[in-house]
Amino acid sequence: MRIINFAASQAISSSAVLIFLTLLLLAGSRRISTCVSLFAMQSAVIAAQVLATAYLHRSTEAFVIGAMVLLIKAIAIPFALFGLIKRLHTSRDVKASISPASSVFITVALIFIAFSAVQSYARDLNVARDPLAAAVAIILTGCFLMTSRNKALMQILGLLVLENGIFMAALITTFGMPLVIEIGIVFDLVMGVFLMGIFTFRIRETFDHLDVSKLRKLRG
Amino acid sequence: MVLLFPLILPVALAALLLGFSDGRQATRVAVAGGCVELVLLLNLVLEVHRQSTVTLGHYFRADGLTSLFLLSLAFVFFVTLLYSVNYLRHVPPGRFSSPRWFYCLMFLFVFAMLSAYLAENLGLLWIMMEATTLASALLVGFYNTEGAVEAGWKYLVVCTVGIAFALFGTIALYLAAARSGVATASALDWTALMNAAPEMGRVSNLVKLAFLFVAVGYGTKVGFVPMHSWLPDAHAEAPSPISAMLSAALLNCAMYALLRYDAITVRALGPDFSHTMLLIFGALSLIGASLLMIVQRDLKRLLAYSSVEHMGMVATGIGIGVPLGLYGALLHTFNHSAAKSLLFFAAGNVREHFGTLQLDRISGMARSLRGTSVFLVIGVLAIVGLPPFSLFVSEFAILNAAFSQEKFAVVTAVLLALVVGFGALIFQLQRMLSGSAAVPEKPRMSMTEGAAMALCAALVVALGVHLPGSFVHMIQRAMAVLTS
Repeated sequence: MRIINFAASQAISSSAVLIFLTLLLLAGSRRISTCVSLFAMQSAVIAAQVLATAYLHRSTEAFVIGAMVLLIKAIAIPFALFGLIKRLHTSRDVKASISPASSVFITVALIFIAFSAVQSYARDLNVARDPLAAAVAIILTGCFLMTSRNKALMQILGLLVLENGIFMAALITTFGMPLVIEIGIVFDLVMGVFLMGIFTFRIRETFDHLDVSKLRKLRG
Repeated sequence: MVLLFPLILPVALAALLLGFSDGRQATRVAVAGGCVELVLLLNLVLEVHRQSTVTLGHYFRADGLTSLFLLSLAFVFFVTLLYSVNYLRHVPPGRFSSPRWFYCLMFLFVFAMLSAYLAENLGLLWIMMEATTLASALLVGFYNTEGAVEAGWKYLVVCTVGIAFALFGTIALYLAAARSGVATASALDWTALMNAAPEMGRVSNLVKLAFLFVAVGYGTKVGFVPMHSWLPDAHAEAPSPISAMLSAALLNCAMYALLRYDAITVRALGPDFSHTMLLIFGALSLIGASLLMIVQRDLKRLLAYSSVEHMGMVATGIGIGVPLGLYGALLHTFNHSAAKSLLFFAAGNVREHFGTLQLDRISGMARSLRGTSVFLVIGVLAIVGLPPFSLFVSEFAILNAAFSQEKFAVVTAVLLALVVGFGALIFQLQRMLSGSAAVPEKPRMSMTEGAAMALCAALVVALGVHLPGSFVHMIQRAMAVLTS
């Protein structure tokens, strides 16, 4: 038993490294499908973290939340996104407005910013610094992905990454919110992705492309 | 029971309405259901008046503040439903764009706003605020034109990201409450938070972080100026009844969420932090929006920027931090709803008649579109804040409060915005009304459209001439919820 406990607590502290890895790879990849797989991996890491926390605290609620995250964020949503990519018959490129190399560089800078931002909070709250920094880094990178990629699908993905970060921040600082609220949040997320999917189809039908930087009829 | 039925009915109606493929039947069912919903909501408001709070289980609760906003939602919803009866007949059929989808989504939208108002739990409040975006995104993109699709997409993405920040703020507040000894099961409950707020002063950093993120997050939905980019697009491209709902109901709903957080923050940290932030956002919105109003070329965009300006006014009223300012702000949300619905309905008629909303292509309205012109004039005179209309009363209260606190920077911002907004709106109004009519005279306005606009106009005038004692009492009870 003790070894499992040890493994669980190690999983939580080392997950930060895996998260940073997914972030850097996300910033560097040129293809949308790679990004979706990376998002699925990131969600799986976070789900594992929830399950490990659930095991350490012997909390049934956390087990339910962990299972839900695994099923929805690591499996259902990525599959739905793969299906969307297939049906949209669009090019695979993410249409980045800056090169992969500088994207990675900016993400590294964001990770540094995340570390320096959480320094004082982590001390005050008495929580592990690295996972908290990872959560903030996910949020920042999500915002960065949304603003620097012009493909409509990448905006959905950036939003999902951003949401992952907020979820992880809640997990680390408070062991998650009450179950009913978590279920509501995930339900909203699923509906949001569904609606954005509908809108990507509409953008494609109306404009014949998926490049949101070319949507600029409405100004001022 | 009194709380349960008004919550269930819109969802049931939304599901039911999808079964009607015939547009006329769907309209009839929607109007009948809407009337029942109106009665249920008024009954709830009366019940709150009698008992001061009504609760349902662990998650729903209505108090004085809720009932004031519910009253305004009920009014806007009812007149919008009335106006839509005739408006929908020329909607081109398409996927998700038929009368039954329109009413189904509209009832879901109302349900989301209603449960946001009734939420006792701030987490539930967040879920329902996000649901308002989801329910209304397809309505914004209802016409399926290039502009509508773009506006719908922008609305969905910008508001979802904004609301995500509010979630972060909610989590920070939850953490602050849990750290100051509130049981985690109730650490998001409004009553528990208000009781524990003085204790939360110890973790002031977290409370500040929470309010900052919530102000940016829900501020995006209110349309405060740096985050307002979705608002004019969504208001201009949506069908006019939906523009009215967005401006007159949704913005209030987001403002209500901010009010709740502001009250908790003031209790925990004193008034300085949150009120200063509201004043900054308020002043930015007032000045930014009024300056942008000058350059608008589209009637509904002009009205949308005017909404941003008025939300800035409300935030300023709250931020001044004296009872008179809060009173003015609460009254102003109510008055603005009535006047802005009237204006968007009139804009809908203008679009129908001229086939465009481009201001430079509309002229001679006074001759060719008499009924609508009368309502448009009333609406514009009310929205720029002239007496005897009700917005004058609330704006005067806010200005008065600012003078009494000697916040002259705030006074300058409010007056500047009022003057510039006045100029922009009156200039465009006289240009639209005068001139020769390029389009033949329209025979008559339909009964329902006329009734909807007349109701709004009557309310704006009546509240301007005389504020009933019971209504003032209602506002005072709403203020008591926030400050006691």
